[in-house]
Amino acid sequence: MSDKIKITPVNRGKRPAFFDDPAIDQLMAIVMSMSAEMSVLYDRVDTIERLLDKKGTLSRDDIEAFRPDQGTEDERNVRRNDYIARLFRIIHEERESLVSHDKMDEYNSLMDELAKS
Amino acid sequence: MAPQAHHDLMVDTTHDEHALQSYVSNLRMYILNEIGGGLSSVYEGRVKPAFEKRVGHAPKDEHDVRHAMMADPYCRTWSSMMRSCQEMIWDSIIPSIERAQPDLNMRATQLAEQPKGSMTLDPNVKIPRYVSASDIHLMPGNYHSERGANDVSQGALYDRGVYVYAAGNGGPYGDSIGRSLAQHLKIRFPDFQPEKILDVGCTVGHNVMPFVDVYPDSNVHAIDVSAPVIRYAHGRAESFGKPMHLHQMNGERMTFEDESFDLVMSVVTFHETSRTAMRNIIAECRRVLKPGGLMIHMELPRTAEMDPFDAFYIDWDSYYNNEPFYQAFTSTDLKAAYVDAGFKEEHYMEVMTPDIYAAPFDTFEAAASGPETKAERYGRLGESIHWTGWGAWKEG
Repeated sequence: MSDKIKITPVNRGKRPAFFDDPAIDQLMAIVMSMSAEMSVLYDRVDTIERLLDKKGTLSRDDIEAFRPDQGTEDERNVRRNDYIARLFRIIHEERESLVSHDKMDEYNSLMDELAKS
Repeated sequence: MAPQAHHDLMVDTTHDEHALQSYVSNLRMYILNEIGGGLSSVYEGRVKPAFEKRVGHAPKDEHDVRHAMMADPYCRTWSSMMRSCQEMIWDSIIPSIERAQPDLNMRATQLAEQPKGSMTLDPNVKIPRYVSASDIHLMPGNYHSERGANDVSQGALYDRGVYVYAAGNGGPYGDSIGRSLAQHLKIRFPDFQPEKILDVGCTVGHNVMPFVDVYPDSNVHAIDVSAPVIRYAHGRAESFGKPMHLHQMNGERMTFEDESFDLVMSVVTFHETSRTAMRNIIAECRRVLKPGGLMIHMELPRTAEMDPFDAFYIDWDSYYNNEPFYQAFTSTDLKAAYVDAGFKEEHYMEVMTPDIYAAPFDTFEAAASGPETKAERYGRLGESIHWTGWGAWKEG
């Protein structure tokens, strides 16, 4: 196995911290990795279910050899995207709650109008 | 993510590696579009008004915007997610490539045995500082790391990495920019039939390979400083049955004779070089170009032509995604650089083309047949995919 290579960063530099406490960046990285592990696990369960549906029995080799066809991949994409949306809802919610500048103008002029009437 | 077009240098993945790469690409699209899509509202809705209140005027340039945005919690969260996701792309691919060795290198060697094209390696090519100084877009080992004889590992990493990064939106061959350019040129300049074509900084040849299809009578050449990506590009092209001539060569000092090519192009090469290198490359492109030939470089939109928020968004990668030379490019006036290199001002041209995979073909065709496109207005980024190019015809 002397030929086994290692692909490692050679010049990545210092990792930027976006939050005042770098531990928050680390936690974010951990959460994102965990989200990925869970998704991988979900795909594996999905593979097992599909194999069982089809054959009623399975082996590890069957699981390893399974590759989703486009239909399966499309279904998984929908499921993964729903999962991501649920997981990061709290961040997306902030976006939804933002009142854009134009909306604010609209609101103010509506208030002015109402005050006059 | 739609499947990548299969070729003989593609690396096998386990069931779980495939699932991981698929997820990372879904996650990236979510962060980019769903979270990143909120950045402009954050800016307009609270960051800009707060800046105006504090300083007395609106942010005057991208640096003002960056300082203000990077203090905003929403932008920090988005940034932190973007950074982690970029690292996850490479991490999701590396184990499969490590495992594929040394069989992968051997496959590349075998594919090169009865070639339709050719490969010329030059061990005297020194890796320029702008390549060795940084793992560009955080790719471990960057383009040039070589791990033993006949190594192609960085080519394999880049090929799959770009595919996962783009979530397959670059088409099954990952060639959307090159294919859009080739088709655009073919429609716009029907009398222009290049016999010899050169791509400068080709990596694994994604964007030059479509020229073999679009101009089937041409000879297609491509250069890169890195031997591993050239070997990979050669094996990949051979596996697809596309004749391409790959050379390990520095675009700043090409060994081609004067006036050898009808078309000299590059795709997103400039923004990974220095200002000096860019000027050297332009001069060399002019030298190797035949009279009447066309030089065109496809690149990122230029921040000088954008409002400060869009410029901040484009240049984010420069600061946080190991793209240290982004700004050298996005702030360069290419027209002036071309004129300095000897091109006539009246021969300067710009291209803005819809993405050939994203746009309906009649829209694509109309953009290529209409009045000369100018890369001057981009609209809000992310509304539609357009590619921009800066070119010049050589007199004669």
